[in-house]
Amino acid sequence: MGDGPRTLVIIPDKCVGCGTCKLACSMVKASGDAMRRTRIHIHNISRERYVQMTCLQCVDAACIKACDTGALMRNEATGAVELQENRCISCGLCEVACPFGHMHFNRATGKPEKCDLCSGDPACAKFCPHGALLYR
Amino acid sequence: MKITIDGKKVEAKRWDTVLTAARRAGIAIPSLCQLDSLENVGACRLCMVEVNHPHWRGAKLVTACEYPVESGLEVITTSEEVLRLRRANLDLLLARAPESRRLQQMSAEMGLEQSGYVRPDKGTACILCMLCTRVCEKLGCNAIAPAGRGLDKRIDTPFGGYPDTCIGCGACAAICPVDCIEMTDTAKTRTIWGRTFEFVKCAECGTPVITVEYRDYAIAHRSLPADYYNECSDCKRRKLAVKFAKVGG
Ligand code: FES
Repeated sequence: MGDGPRTLVIIPDKCVGCGTCKLACSMVKASGDAMRRTRIHIHNISRERYVQMTCLQCVDAACIKACDTGALMRNEATGAVELQENRCISCGLCEVACPFGHMHFNRATGKPEKCDLCSGDPACAKFCPHGALLYR
Repeated sequence: MKITIDGKKVEAKRWDTVLTAARRAGIAIPSLCQLDSLENVGACRLCMVEVNHPHWRGAKLVTACEYPVESGLEVITTSEEVLRLRRANLDLLLARAPESRRLQQMSAEMGLEQSGYVRPDKGTACILCMLCTRVCEKLGCNAIAPAGRGLDKRIDTPFGGYPDTCIGCGACAAICPVDCIEMTDTAKTRTIWGRTFEFVKCAECGTPVITVEYRDYAIAHRSLPADYYNECSDCKRRKLAVKFAKVGG
């Protein structure tokens, strides 16, 4: 481990698809409703094969390049790409630009929703009962 | 420089407006038409504050989003007069757009008791906050602008005609705080401002991703590979998940 910010490590081998991470995410980010809108997703690839997917906080992030207003910026302390709501002009291009599908543009609020690592304390990793999500 | 907001000494930067300085200091001033990435126009007038200065002859009322700070400025954000004015403005906005969730929320926060104002029968809910036109301008399209004067003032395409420069991005509709911009999406097309756009369909599953014009705009104006705009989020995510599953063994 270096001195840099910690990262969220995804270990699909340990994932059993229980959905606790999704529940934790929705509790923190959407006060319990909108499970489809969580910022972490579980993909059932084949029988008993699950992969959790969430924003990878890319070093050379496409969403930041797609955003022309500086509304998406890296939080140097956590390493997460975060939304500055008050700069966002609701163009929705970040959603389309993300090559991994981790940006969700909420038409109702006019703002994108993405994983911000819960400002350095990701709930999904905290609640994963199988050690399939680690924050270290 | 130092300014005072509600009796509290606050550090402000040279090009700050009262609103930005207050926000940085954690003092909330209501605002509706202001975004940090857009030019301030002072349209909603919900950010009214009282400003005064030891060198002045008296206080005045200004919009916090537009008023530049100066050393020694004294700002009061919650005087009787300020609150009365803000409520009166909000009351009028709410009369025009009673269905707006955003305005309803603000009136709850400000303890507004609605008066009996009603909007004229054929009126729109548009409160002329200019967010849509400024967003459109920011994207470089300038497809819509304010037209008319006084009671006739409205947001429209040039001469109410076909919007040549519109790319169908839908940002105007998404940013509108009163949801008064009509946008209709079908499986194939998006119609907005009287123009119909074809969607780029997800190469995997066929769901609409973005209008063809918006994709072309993105390719021309953003430094990302052209094939980034071809698939929907769900398919992109699934593909990566499959890759991860293989690596995992
Ligand atoms: S926020 Fe200042 S006038 Fe609208």
